[in-house]
Amino acid sequence: MSTTTTTGAGAAITRPDTTTRPPARTGRVLANELREELLAVIREPTTLFFTVAMPVGFFAMFVGLWGTEPEGTTNVAAMMLATFGAFGVIGVALMTPGIGVAEDRERGWLRVKRVSATPLPVTIAAKVLACMPHALGVVGAMSLLALVLAEPGISTVAWLRVLMVLVLGSLPFALVGLAVGFLASPNAATAVLMALYIPSSVASGLWMPLDMLPDALARLAPALPTYHLGQLAVSQLEGRAGLEHAAALLAFAVVAAGGAALAYRRASP
Amino acid sequence: MDAVLELDGVTHRYGATVALDTVDLRVMPGECVALLGPNGAGKTTLTSLVTGLLSPRSGRIVVAGGDPARAATRARLGVVQQRVGWPRTLTVAEVVHGAAVRAGASRLHVEPALAEVGLAELRRRRAAKLSGGQQQRLQLAMALVASPTLLVLDEPTTGLDAATRRDFWTTLATRRDRGSGVLLATHQLDEAAAVADRVVVLAHGRVVAVDTPNGLTSRLADRIVSARTCLDVANLTNLPGVLDLDATDGRLRASTTQPERLVRHLLDHDPSLGDLRVEAVGLEHAVLHLTEGAQTPDGTTPVDRARPRPTTEVHA
Repeated sequence: MSTTTTTGAGAAITRPDTTTRPPARTGRVLANELREELLAVIREPTTLFFTVAMPVGFFAMFVGLWGTEPEGTTNVAAMMLATFGAFGVIGVALMTPGIGVAEDRERGWLRVKRVSATPLPVTIAAKVLACMPHALGVVGAMSLLALVLAEPGISTVAWLRVLMVLVLGSLPFALVGLAVGFLASPNAATAVLMALYIPSSVASGLWMPLDMLPDALARLAPALPTYHLGQLAVSQLEGRAGLEHAAALLAFAVVAAGGAALAYRRASP
Repeated sequence: MDAVLELDGVTHRYGATVALDTVDLRVMPGECVALLGPNGAGKTTLTSLVTGLLSPRSGRIVVAGGDPARAATRARLGVVQQRVGWPRTLTVAEVVHGAAVRAGASRLHVEPALAEVGLAELRRRRAAKLSGGQQQRLQLAMALVASPTLLVLDEPTTGLDAATRRDFWTTLATRRDRGSGVLLATHQLDEAAAVADRVVVLAHGRVVAVDTPNGLTSRLADRIVSARTCLDVANLTNLPGVLDLDATDGRLRASTTQPERLVRHLLDHDPSLGDLRVEAVGLEHAVLHLTEGAQTPDGTTPVDRARPRPTTEVHA
């Protein structure tokens, strides 16, 4: 549908309909943003190496070495799937949108989005949602490796619960990545995010159990959102809801969303 | 007839620095208004306010009847910047399709927009692989795809060759005929003189003049006198009113506030005088004259911005 307006000069301007109902238009904008993000992955799959191949490689090494060790009531391979899965999806969520938005900002593409009719929540939501296929890929690849290299011995229901909490629980980390990406250059964003990612993952017991770490780190762990995602995933293996960890992640998500929105507004246009 | 852009008493500050000081401005449908002024005059701040990148500290901005801070208003806005770095993974058609979706326009408008700027043949090429001129045409296609009410152009033709610039302005002229208003921020004064209906001269964040390009240049008493002459032009520097003087290969070119006196002198003293012309000064001269004497918002005229004293250069 289009509208025709007669101008003072007597000329007619035919303008496409831009009055589509806001929710419908917002949905179209979000779908297009997601499509563009996914096209980037399909056309330049090398970007998957660090975010997918690295954590999966670590997992293969650790599960190959210790995946068949007996460990309490829960299989070690299953525990590793939960904790390394958390490590993997956190990496994807922190790095992919954060570095992506820093690159967009540096090349001026973010400015193009900001002067367009893209609402801020749509920009942020698209970046966050676009990392979900990566996260699914990480957990899927780790699950296959666990089956091949060890016997995780978990039910399909438990596995689906782990998958769900890992993918959904990674989303607040994407907001942190975005906040850094809105303010830092691509190189600086990579450095800052790696500096957040690796130490907090180790200190949260995602690489090795907390009782193998120094006491000081073990005491610090409950203050880290990375710990709560790992424990939320482990809770699913043990048949618990892990609501206290979900609540901690929810609080973290609220703070991260505020930080991302603030950083977006402070980002140099 | 409603203006497509209205600024009423718009002020913006960066900390204690006043970037724009109570600026009023109107752009009507089909009109092209050029923003001129030196670096730091406030052009970029003004275009950032109009495109919603910044919010004014005080005053009112209305773009196509709405607040540019709202996404729905920006759907009626087309923007061309000096340069954009494109995503490596998107094609020309995908980039314009994205612009159409963001502005709420149908995908059916993508092909006509590409054809309008001459990029239909390159629709499957990656945007980042285009030449500089093609990239500017791609920005124009993005800006035009939803038939914007207002086009904001920030140094849109910098670095483009003459033919590409001509095509760019021809395309825009068509859209202006159909009612789109244009706000052009530029340092290319010859281009502004050629395409703008009105020019707004900014200095230190203030509007120091609003006029047509011809109206602005005719405000100055200065005229350019040029001629072929065998006179020793060094002697002309002492004539009253002469500001600048240049002579190359027997051709004199002088800027003067008293052209009649200089012409009379040349006619009296050089019987072989030829190709005598008296012209108004160009837009560049007029803008320099207006901006270099302008006061900052605190009422001072910085010494480093004072108009340079006229110099006399004799090359022949």
